[in-house]
Amino acid sequence: MFAEREGGGGGAGEAGGAGGPQPPPGAARMGSSEEDKGLVAKTLAGDRDAFGTLVERYAAQARRVARAVLGDPDDADDAAQDGFLSALVKLAQYDTHRPFGPWLMRIVANAATDRRRRRSVRQAEPLDPSLVGGGPRPDAVAMRNELGARLRTALGELSERRRTAVVLFDVEGYSHAEIAGILGIPEGTVRSEVFHARRRLRTLLADWKEQAR
Amino acid sequence: MKDSQEFDHRPDPELGAALRAALEPKDDQQVFVARVMAQYKRAWDRASVPTLDVLASWFRPGIAAAVAALILGFVFGRTMLTPAPASIDAAMAPLEGPGLAALVTAPDPPDASVVFSSLVDQR
Repeated sequence: MFAEREGGGGGAGEAGGAGGPQPPPGAARMGSSEEDKGLVAKTLAGDRDAFGTLVERYAAQARRVARAVLGDPDDADDAAQDGFLSALVKLAQYDTHRPFGPWLMRIVANAATDRRRRRSVRQAEPLDPSLVGGGPRPDAVAMRNELGARLRTALGELSERRRTAVVLFDVEGYSHAEIAGILGIPEGTVRSEVFHARRRLRTLLADWKEQAR
Repeated sequence: MKDSQEFDHRPDPELGAALRAALEPKDDQQVFVARVMAQYKRAWDRASVPTLDVLASWFRPGIAAAVAALILGFVFGRTMLTPAPASIDAAMAPLEGPGLAALVTAPDPPDASVVFSSLVDQR
């Protein structure tokens, strides 16, 4: 299970080169930090709709992160739901000086890890054999589906921590420091995990592009 | 996409987009939101119970159980560890051989080695 300490690293800046860190497309910050804090305060005061807004903001991100951990989309949704409800129960413990997203994602990732451990048999998402062989690709949708299936399989071959780290970094746009807080590991380890995951996934992506030509 | 050997502090937009598409839920997000909100009240009720109340509810039976355990432990310990008072007859009874009382009351003078061995046995 990931670390239980509070806060997610506080969004420390990264030495990201000349332009600094650049948010990926559709990055993690679903709403501003201040908006999130306002919604948290309203939720704590008993405002059901405020909690609903938080769920809407972070639902897609939570489901993706849970799926990165679990693989199976149904299990992932169950874990994401557990994470949101657990966050509601623990909301009074949330430190409003820290960003809400990493705090929530740590709870979601922990819920997904718990669920994964409870599964007696690992249910890896089966890959359509026709896709592995690089069979006919009738249209762009099929090609995208094929790439998605290959990426999910490749993610499944990575360690849980490695795939969660790369998804949090490249998909959700969290900084290394924030991911370190979410996963409860040193920032240097996060960098290493992201580096190794990327190397594997980029190779796969390059091969697929080569085949698609 | 960047060189896979390159260590980069910045997110990779191309890889990120591909991963996002691979992990994106296919169904309507609102269905999921509704599913979570259906459990709102139960979770809120759990959240609303102050921690101190929970601790206090554990505290009272805990004290009662600790007191009961102490009393039981005291009674049991006293019963098991305190030796029963020995009567004078029992103290004088021989473990083996004639014993001190028989030697003292005998008409003939006792053999000294028997007396000493009897006294040592009594210890």
